[in-house]
Amino acid sequence: MNNWPRQVVGTRADELLAAAALPYSQWRDRFPGHRPFPYFCSYWPEELVMALGWEPVRVLPPAKVGTPARLPTYCCTVARGCLEEGEAGRLPFEAAGFAQSCDTMQCLSQIWRHAVAENSFTFVPPVDLGAAGALRYCAEELAALGRQLEQVSGRTLETGALARAIKLNNRLRKLLAKLEEMRPWLPSTLAAELERAAQIAPRAFSGEVLEAALPELERLFKGDEDLPRRYRRVVVSGAVLEGADLFGLLEELGARVVADDSCTGRRHFAGLVDEDGDPLEALAARCLRRPPCPCRHQGLDARLDYLLELARSKGAEAVILVLRKYCDPHAWDAVYLTEGLRGAGVPAYVLELEGASPGGQEKTRLQAFLECL
Amino acid sequence: MSTKTKSYLPLKTTGQLRRTMEKHYLFARYHRWWGRPLKKPLAWVTSGAPVEILRVFGIYTVYPENYGAVCGTARASLPLCQEAENRGYVQDLCSYARSNLGAVFRPEIAPAGGLPAPDLLVACNNICGTVLKWYEVLARHYRVPLFIIDTPFVAGNGGPPAHAVDYVQGQLREMITGLEKLTGRRFSAASLERHLLLSWEVVELWREIRYLCRNRPSPLNIPDMFLHLAPIVVMRGTKGAVAYYRKLLAEVKERVQKGVAAVSGEKYRLLWDNIAIWPRLFGFFKTFSEKGACFVVDTYAGGWAVEIFPGEPLESVARIYTGIFLNQGIAYRVRDMVRLIEEFAVDGFVMHSNRSCKPYSLIQEEIRRRVTAATGVPGLLVEADMTDPRAYAEEQVRTRVQAFLEALQSR
Ligand code: SF4
Ligand code: SF4
Repeated sequence: MNNWPRQVVGTRADELLAAAALPYSQWRDRFPGHRPFPYFCSYWPEELVMALGWEPVRVLPPAKVGTPARLPTYCCTVARGCLEEGEAGRLPFEAAGFAQSCDTMQCLSQIWRHAVAENSFTFVPPVDLGAAGALRYCAEELAALGRQLEQVSGRTLETGALARAIKLNNRLRKLLAKLEEMRPWLPSTLAAELERAAQIAPRAFSGEVLEAALPELERLFKGDEDLPRRYRRVVVSGAVLEGADLFGLLEELGARVVADDSCTGRRHFAGLVDEDGDPLEALAARCLRRPPCPCRHQGLDARLDYLLELARSKGAEAVILVLRKYCDPHAWDAVYLTEGLRGAGVPAYVLELEGASPGGQEKTRLQAFLECL
Repeated sequence: MSTKTKSYLPLKTTGQLRRTMEKHYLFARYHRWWGRPLKKPLAWVTSGAPVEILRVFGIYTVYPENYGAVCGTARASLPLCQEAENRGYVQDLCSYARSNLGAVFRPEIAPAGGLPAPDLLVACNNICGTVLKWYEVLARHYRVPLFIIDTPFVAGNGGPPAHAVDYVQGQLREMITGLEKLTGRRFSAASLERHLLLSWEVVELWREIRYLCRNRPSPLNIPDMFLHLAPIVVMRGTKGAVAYYRKLLAEVKERVQKGVAAVSGEKYRLLWDNIAIWPRLFGFFKTFSEKGACFVVDTYAGGWAVEIFPGEPLESVARIYTGIFLNQGIAYRVRDMVRLIEEFAVDGFVMHSNRSCKPYSLIQEEIRRRVTAATGVPGLLVEADMTDPRAYAEEQVRTRVQAFLEALQSR
């Protein structure tokens, strides 16, 4: 069932949402003439594959996750769900792109190469983003990855094509940043679904649709100036959120997500790539200054400071830390973030989920938390 | 001889092992008395960190992971883990980390009162992403400098790429500058070389000891390897470690010469994959040794028999520590296991699916399939945890092990 409000039916936004809601197996039919390149982590350098004639397609797990043959149960549902789809042949793509992030993704990337797609590539960005030589290493790693991708694509990575891809993605990032600004008066589910859709549909298509859709949405949803005041304003932070059920529940409980700091939300698109100068260095530079991800080190307080600033700038009343079962990096951070946020006067709540959808118990707890605000 | 019929035949060197490790922890315990006056800070270090560099600066090193194993063997992990869980660190996180944090928060319930507080922390992410998060917590708690060595994961087949080695080397230089400031001592390349030579000597001795297990019957069983691994982890780069392993080698050689079997009536030769189940170290392996099954080789203790790259010391350190097996892709691990199976004439392998250690474990089922396809040797996956007893289902494990051994018998 779709999660987006009735008002958008028939608008340009609807077109993007519907395209992204299709199963991956129908992606080629929906976008004939495009070569899909599935990837798993938002650190994957989309521009490299775009410059080589592919379309980056974010792979997200299905809503219901079973048991893939090659992963144990004590593994997050992101990895398990994706592998299950891959093993079952429901991701009919010729290659795959991974970015080294957590231990789980590292294992999945290795399994994938042998169990699903031989042409699997791993980009290994620096983990300590402030380390001596991190920028240079990152640019060289991108260049090395580019050389590997060239061999499979049969094309040469040209600076001009890379610059065009950067421009195209920057345009999309700006539109998504604008969408993020519209959150106070836009249904939380709609904003989340659009952000997710723009990672699945071809980038040019997403950009073109959003360009037309944002003014439409403004007409449809703005207007009621009092609306933001009727909601509890919350920031959501966490790993991948493959569906918008949580956002729907929060709305139902009278909250509005004014910032989505998840791997599929603003962390994915925040920050532009410098369009002047060497493209690979510019991509590396963005990689190093993205919003803090728990899989990387940017100093001891970077993520707390970032979330505090985000909450302050959005006038949020609370931060909800979404913790997926068996997700180590986020579990580690949840402790210090909760203490730090609360210490700074920002109520914080750790919401433990098996996947991305909350159940009855979580609803009761969330409700209690929101009522206390 | 009556000892031969026992399911476990302890080494004479075990006494020395105990003394060596006690001395190590005693020095640590009283560090606050001698560390300051001698200007020798105490560092908490991850097991895969390049300690040889720290030794140049006279830094005393202790290993929270080893402490985790000590707690596990002493069956003291559970209350410590629970202590960490009470403070929000969920049960799914690595139990070494939880044990250590539990001991940090409540030293009064920890064996030996926990580890002495560190003056600095050194985390190298070549073993997992956990250590980075764990050491971040420690750095926030103790407010001491945290040195991170970021060793990029080796995703391809050709070993660490040049740009990764350069990157690591640059960080090592940066760490050296930081340590010069911290200790007030000057770095000495000659001293580093001396410590590296000591390390490599230990690594060579360890390799030789392991390879003696190619003999039939094997002079050692896996609990021996696990117990006697401790000095290589905590004392790498010291003369004490070299002396210790020379002695151990002599004893193992003697066993081989006399034809002493670690498991009397050795029938099956097995390979072990992953960290030990410390609280069941003897009980678990007894199930095997009673049936004449001896673990002649493993991948975990073998992780310390690293490949040595000669050359410029810092480059060689960067290359070795980036290329350790947990930092390498599946092809490397499969190749390694297939080689061990062939070299040690292994009949079957057992993989400990260790809930604590995701980088080691999540990939095991795929490895199992590929190793069996390549060698025809069967493998068994047993789910447990290296120290958290809650993850160990005794009956289930016993049934699976028995079925596996029966299957081996019928081959
Ligand atoms: S970051 Fe967390 S949710 Fe994402 S793949 Fe890793 S363990 Fe799973
Ligand atoms: S996760 Fe694994 S490698 Fe990392 S500290 Fe724990 S046991 Fe060691």
